[in-house]
Amino acid sequence: MAIEPLTPEQVVKKTVKSDEPTKPTPEPTLSAKRLIGLALLLALMTWAYRAAQVEPQLLWENRDKAVPIITDLLTPSLLTRGEETQQVVVRVEAPCETSTGPVVEAGSGAQITLSSNCLNPGDSLTVSGSGLRPDTGGRLYWQHPNAQGRLRDERFRTDANGNFTVDTDIPQLLEDLGGGETELQTILSWESGRLRASDALTETFHAIIETIFLALMATTLGSLIAIPISFLAARNIMPRTPLGNAVYGLTRTALNITRSVEPLILATIFAIWVSFGPFAGVLALSVSTIANIGKLFSEAAESIDDGPLEAIRSTGGNELEVVWFGVVPQIIPPYLSFMIYYWDINVRMSTIIGFVGGGGIGLALSHWINQTQWNNAATAVWAIVIVVFAMDYISAIVRERLI
Amino acid sequence: MSNPAALAALFSLILPGAGQIRSGHRSRGLIILVITLIIVGLVLWLNLSPASWLGLAVAWAANVWDAWLIAGGQRPKTALLALALALPIYVIGWQVTNIDLVRFFTSANRAAPVVRGLLRPDFFAREIDYGIAGNDFYLPCPAPADAESSAAPNGATVTISQNCGLPGETVQLTGQGFDPNQTLQLWWTNPVGAESRVRIFGEFEPFQVDENGGFQTEITVPNQRYEADNPRAHSLELRYIASQSSYQVTENARLVASRIGETIAQALMATFVGALLAMPFSLFGARNLMAGNPALKVLYYISRTVMNVLRSVEPLIMAIVFVVWVGLGPFAGVLALTMHTIAALGKLYSESIESIDVGPIEAIRATGANQFQIIAYGVLPQVIPPWIAFTVFRWDINVRMSTIIGFVGGGGIGFLLAQWIRLSEYRAAGAAIWAIAVVVIILDLISARVRERLI
Amino acid sequence: MLEVINVSKVYDDGTRALNNVSFTVEDGEFLVLIGLSGSGKSTMLRCINRLIDPTEGRILYNGQDITNADPRELRQIRRQIGMVFQHFNLVKRSSVLRNVLSGRLGYTNTLSSVLGLWSAEDKQKAMENLRLVGIENKANNRADELSGGQQQRVGIARAMMQEPTLMLADEPVASLDPALADSVMRYFEKLNQERGTSVICSLHVLGLARRYATRIIALKAGEVVYNGDPDLIDDVRFREIYGDEAVEHSLR
Repeated sequence: MAIEPLTPEQVVKKTVKSDEPTKPTPEPTLSAKRLIGLALLLALMTWAYRAAQVEPQLLWENRDKAVPIITDLLTPSLLTRGEETQQVVVRVEAPCETSTGPVVEAGSGAQITLSSNCLNPGDSLTVSGSGLRPDTGGRLYWQHPNAQGRLRDERFRTDANGNFTVDTDIPQLLEDLGGGETELQTILSWESGRLRASDALTETFHAIIETIFLALMATTLGSLIAIPISFLAARNIMPRTPLGNAVYGLTRTALNITRSVEPLILATIFAIWVSFGPFAGVLALSVSTIANIGKLFSEAAESIDDGPLEAIRSTGGNELEVVWFGVVPQIIPPYLSFMIYYWDINVRMSTIIGFVGGGGIGLALSHWINQTQWNNAATAVWAIVIVVFAMDYISAIVRERLI
Repeated sequence: MSNPAALAALFSLILPGAGQIRSGHRSRGLIILVITLIIVGLVLWLNLSPASWLGLAVAWAANVWDAWLIAGGQRPKTALLALALALPIYVIGWQVTNIDLVRFFTSANRAAPVVRGLLRPDFFAREIDYGIAGNDFYLPCPAPADAESSAAPNGATVTISQNCGLPGETVQLTGQGFDPNQTLQLWWTNPVGAESRVRIFGEFEPFQVDENGGFQTEITVPNQRYEADNPRAHSLELRYIASQSSYQVTENARLVASRIGETIAQALMATFVGALLAMPFSLFGARNLMAGNPALKVLYYISRTVMNVLRSVEPLIMAIVFVVWVGLGPFAGVLALTMHTIAALGKLYSESIESIDVGPIEAIRATGANQFQIIAYGVLPQVIPPWIAFTVFRWDINVRMSTIIGFVGGGGIGFLLAQWIRLSEYRAAGAAIWAIAVVVIILDLISARVRERLI
Repeated sequence: MLEVINVSKVYDDGTRALNNVSFTVEDGEFLVLIGLSGSGKSTMLRCINRLIDPTEGRILYNGQDITNADPRELRQIRRQIGMVFQHFNLVKRSSVLRNVLSGRLGYTNTLSSVLGLWSAEDKQKAMENLRLVGIENKANNRADELSGGQQQRVGIARAMMQEPTLMLADEPVASLDPALADSVMRYFEKLNQERGTSVICSLHVLGLARRYATRIIALKAGEVVYNGDPDLIDDVRFREIYGDEAVEHSLR
């Protein structure tokens, strides 16, 4: 998630030199220096424990809260069956003056009876039905012409003969919306048909492709800009004149400062700039790619072999030819390898910047989390895990080949 | 058709890569086939514009050409083929990610307040005392007889041409007794107490008193709500700077400092606990230690898999779970970071165990030591320096990460930053961003120094 | 004719690599520079084509002042002077042919060379030169697939592409197996005798120097301590050049 300034391999390379004998570590002794160090560490940890408000007992006390989320996260929404419905609509007036008796409405082979045809908010109403699909769950909804959504009311379940009776109250909202004719919808729904991909799965698939492309575009854009910048930040390429030194120093500093700004923050800015969506994510990741890969590129350029450069200079080639024939062939493999590495990193990152409006899978995920639809969120989480895993694997193989 | 090159080209025209496979370049052909199939699938499924069909056509043609070259025994142009295959991918990417360069340039002004906030972080501010000379103004007419006008502390007075009226009417203001050349701001306060600045000739700019301490200006009554039969008192005020203190650290800056501390503490805690837990894990995840018998091998594969899966779950997602579990605040962030640290450090630790020098281990084994003694005397002394380097490096990463985790409620500076961004308080957000940048750069330097030392 | 007049070189760190060195090389000579490592051989050779700028003194080639040439003139001069390096200095990931063709850079305009548009003549010449050094069948291999001796022959072929009138060789055989060294040196001899190209070659093995040189210049701590006939280097002179403890035998 955070930009790691060194690849793990680089850290290993820099710290573990397996071909050299390791320095013998002195036997641990209880010197004063060690004691002070230990005491300092203890003090630091105590402070950190307090400042970070660590309360381990909460983990146990609140275990009930964690169970449903973790269960949902482990059972992502992947497949669903189609939903079939049976619907009978009764039109009634609310509020109204006086009741003239019950209402009966028939439709789609069923019959719904309301205890009264005159409804006022707060009145109780008995709804009964017959001839419906047996043993099926259903629900009543109010649909007022002035409202966009519909108002959910009682749930019920039909018996073995397809009958049900349910009592409800007339909601006040019908009057507030202006009164008049309102639809009372009786809807039964049940799963049927073949298994198909759930909506969450389809949306996840769409979003993850957006994420992969987002990362690809950002990596390409960022790398293309980083290539010339990396030459400016390479000690061996910049001439050692006052101007050369100044350009080198400025480029280095600019890269370092940009590198310490989190992509999440960049994404926030760009989401305001070009509004929410994957384009904001592309821009944010491009900027962070320039800063990070620019550094890696310039280090790769600094570690090239000077011999060929000398040879080409000695044949009478000019500076452009020296770069093209001497520098470029040497830096292509490491540059490509860093680009693939960064594509991988950018895929991870783009899942994060979605949370602040950067588009892609992160946006879908944050959506589902805000609505506490953990099943759907789990689909996105698993998709991220799989894609990150696969990218990790592929990028490792490709990079191995390139070097 | 006897010409093998033409035949291969025909094969590839019908099915991309087929011609190459036929000429014996199996993996090349398969890669071409898979890439074209993916492109075709995406173009069909995403219902993209004709440009992507054009890109696809270019890739297809390049594949035919490549088959022709290969079958004809010529040197294939791999780089050109790769470019041609990449073309439709980028065309699709351009469309999928809604790249819109026009909007990038035309809406640049929308980013201006954010950038301005970043450039003027809210670290220091001056406290300013204002002097006020006020007049009641009634909307609508008539004004009651006791309408007030208050003089400023230094005796300056303001005369108003009429003390009641309707929005849009023009009113003359004359003042005297102000300090010469003083800058004045004009404010309007409605009966509810909401304040707004009044435009003078359409501008918000403050205006100047002349050298004699007087001024004369003309304003338009702002568009305020009023009831026709109920005149109410609004207040028209002239404010000027009576005194100002020197620059002082703002409340927001103090908040940033304390939250940065919280972030560092979070990272410390997570790194420390995570490192402790990663150590046993890394022993199980080191191939060279677990090579003994099948049971150990199973243990090796289990711990490797657990670490790999855990590593690919973003800390941000873990933080969301822990926020629900233990509530909003830094502890949730600590837990999420700890989990990720165990996985990440466990892998690095076990890799450094795998790359150790086997000589000393052999020597110790030769003395008749058991597995634990071998680890204690042969393995640990060799891996401790790289382990420390990795751990410090991880602390550095964890500080960065904890700023991110704050965005979903994981405490620390990120939490504060997310709030300020949501409230559009960009100067405060700027202070937080600068503080993070400084801390990250310092930690970067420290961890680089420590790593260098330990080589 | 190459004239080296009172050349000195002081590096930025204060090391005095060359101290008032003067000599001339007539056309068609095979001059060998000998001396210990650090005696200034490499610096001297690089001053001639100004890969290193001398601090003092002048170097004239056929009457033209190299030391004061502007960048354009310098490139003109450099293309007449071929150079072969100890570590071959090939672009390892490029093909052998491309490496050899890069020897024509001084004659080609930048745009067409960058686009890879070499003339048919240049390509033919490259293949000819590869044939001359016996590795024409490796033209399409990557340079790093070749053995050390073969890589050095690519280096020679590259320098020959320049059609040089003067060939500089900086320890061309120091990284090679002794058995291969002789065969590589023979290409320089052939170049010298058949095409009349002057050769300035630095070596640290006296045996080879005696075998190929028409004249030897010995450098010690940046100064010329011997300039003359190869056969006149006797035991006393040898100790003078290589120090008291050296025995010629140990140096082969």
